[in-house]
Amino acid sequence: MPPTPSSVSATSPTLLDTRFKVETPEGIDLILRPAGVIPRALAFGIDLLIRGALLGALYAVLALFGQFGMGLATILMFLLTWWYMVLFEVLNQGRSPGKQVMGLRVIHDDGTPIGWAASLTRNLLRFVDMLPFGYTLGIISSLRHPAFKRLGDIAAGTLVVYRDEAPSAAVLPEAEALRAPFTMNLNEQRARSALLNAAKTCPARAVWNWRAFSLNPCTSPPNRLNNRSTASPVAF
Amino acid sequence: MRLTDASVVIRPRSAWEAVDLGVLLAKQHAGLLMLSWAIVTLPIFALLCLLLWDYPSIAVLIFWWLKPAYERLPLFILSNALFGSTPSLKQALKALPGLLKPQLLASLTWRRLSPTRSFDLPVQQLEGLSGSARNQRLVVLGQRDAGGASWLTVVGVALEIALMFGLISLFYMLLPAQLELDWSWDTLISTDTHQWLWLEHLSNLFYALVLVLWGPIYVACGFTLYLNRRTALEAWDIELVFRQLRQRLTGVAYAMLLSVALLFMPVADNAMAASEAAPVATDPNGPDAPRLLKQPLTSEQSQESITQLLDQPPFEHRETVTRWRFGDAPEDPSAEDAKSLDEWMKKLADLAQLWKSVDGVALFFEVLLWTLLFSLLAWLLWRYRDWLNAFAGRLRMPQVRRYQAPEQLFGLEVAPQSLPNDIAGEVERLWAEQPRAALSLLYRALLSRLLHEQQLALKSSDTEGEVLQQVHALQQAELSKFSQTLTSHWQNLAYGHQQPHAALKDELCTGWRQLFERGAQA
Repeated sequence: MPPTPSSVSATSPTLLDTRFKVETPEGIDLILRPAGVIPRALAFGIDLLIRGALLGALYAVLALFGQFGMGLATILMFLLTWWYMVLFEVLNQGRSPGKQVMGLRVIHDDGTPIGWAASLTRNLLRFVDMLPFGYTLGIISSLRHPAFKRLGDIAAGTLVVYRDEAPSAAVLPEAEALRAPFTMNLNEQRARSALLNAAKTCPARAVWNWRAFSLNPCTSPPNRLNNRSTASPVAF
Repeated sequence: MRLTDASVVIRPRSAWEAVDLGVLLAKQHAGLLMLSWAIVTLPIFALLCLLLWDYPSIAVLIFWWLKPAYERLPLFILSNALFGSTPSLKQALKALPGLLKPQLLASLTWRRLSPTRSFDLPVQQLEGLSGSARNQRLVVLGQRDAGGASWLTVVGVALEIALMFGLISLFYMLLPAQLELDWSWDTLISTDTHQWLWLEHLSNLFYALVLVLWGPIYVACGFTLYLNRRTALEAWDIELVFRQLRQRLTGVAYAMLLSVALLFMPVADNAMAASEAAPVATDPNGPDAPRLLKQPLTSEQSQESITQLLDQPPFEHRETVTRWRFGDAPEDPSAEDAKSLDEWMKKLADLAQLWKSVDGVALFFEVLLWTLLFSLLAWLLWRYRDWLNAFAGRLRMPQVRRYQAPEQLFGLEVAPQSLPNDIAGEVERLWAEQPRAALSLLYRALLSRLLHEQQLALKSSDTEGEVLQQVHALQQAELSKFSQTLTSHWQNLAYGHQQPHAALKDELCTGWRQLFERGAQA
């Protein structure tokens, strides 16, 4: 059996994943993680609460000025309804306050920061997503699209993704370096260093189990569940 | 359960990403999940409606309360599909009674309102835990992703409500306008009218339909949350990589064994292979020759895996294009067809020969056609010359018009050559016999001077009054006064036939001399 490159077998295209790859002209894959309907609905809820609170406060203050105040409040309501998202998205790196809380941001499909045109399109088309009531079309579109886009996102070519945290520098364990008897590819090296990091942070027993397993890969992985039922269709 | 068979990428995710994976997983098996859900729930809904026809709210409450019972079948399907053995619809429905048995009472009573229902279900159904073991397990699992599971339930409630009202309003929008509906809210709200029961049952049906979409997704999201938690707890991602590493290394070991065996093969075999390969005349030292035969990875194997790699995306892009076309497929070209095609080609060649011989004719026609074209163009230009003048002429830059001093004003000669040298003297001479001629001469002279000395842009269409206005615009008081007097008297004489009195002669002549001839003399 020829040793096939395991990077190919590990990331076979049939496997289901939420990640979304954008290939740059230099042949580098940028990995984006599109966000689904649940966190986006929560982010929208937070934004809705903020807007509601702002509008309530505005009305309370402007009601003192009579009809003029009401007119002003109507204009402000228009601005807050239609420009709140656009301004935050374009001027705050694609993050409205709700998205900020949920760790999301909006970008173009190719990973570039969102611009005025795309942001205006996706936010004006909220009107379509809201049809016929309470974002029905948006929810259905988001549930059926592989990158969780609602109709506005499809039209504007935008993507709501999870923000990437800045990676922390790997802390190497203080130990004498040994050469492995075989070459390891990137995935395997990562797995090994993840194992070593876990060994430092986890309780001793678990580490012992892992180490026993990793040193002797021919044994089956340790059973952590004593109470495993055989009646269940898949023995989890 | 073999991790290497998993149909999803196993890696530690955040709780939200795990939920998103659930949405994708449910989408992948959407047909089976939604169909089985509909087959199970819709008959129950229909039964409830029939039994409790007078109490639609209670019917939908019971239907809603039974949700944990419906959720076991999707979990069964998903857990099997995750490792590649997706059950058929029949298998799934057969498994349903066995799935419903354990802990159904607990699920439907004190655990019904648990916000982490979807997250807990795999522990109970797939691990088969109950009692205190289940509680301990849930405490361990719930340390991290339970918050995500609760939010999933909260958002799920909101989504169910939004989708249901969306369906109801869609239904309302699609009612034809001709249907006279005087639904007023107070008649809808007053419960004593029995005629609105069907409407309530209809909106309950919408809820049941929304659940067909959302129920499996909810279960799948809880399942992937559970998988994610176990991935983190038991380091499934690391285990998976090490398992693949083991597969790879055992593969290498087999390859080494094979190559060692090859080394000890009889030499005759090699010679035979060489004699067979000789006619192909491959260079034994060329790039295509097998090399590195004693290595675990021989050149042939590497070539093979390279071609395999190059055959897959992103190096190879194949797509199937489906088009409509006429039904009768073209037959294979037979020998006859080939022959007739050959003849046809020959005829074509003959035709080309003939064509060369009639080159002169072709030249004649070419010239004729070009001539026709150019004459057509010329004729067009001539035919539309007026139009071109009118419209194309406007395209030119506006030009300054040279002012041409008119020769005549009011029928009077005003050119300087037509006037005598001593105008005042001539006037004095004529005044006695021909006062009309004298005054007209003076007026002519004035106009001539205005035109040629003062450079007034008089037009032949100007009236006497307009001339006067232009003179006033010069702002020379004496000239204005003189012109005023002369013009009024000239008009009186010319149009009113009033003879000027004799004293006027001296006044006008003196005025003339002062204005025009003094300058000339000085």
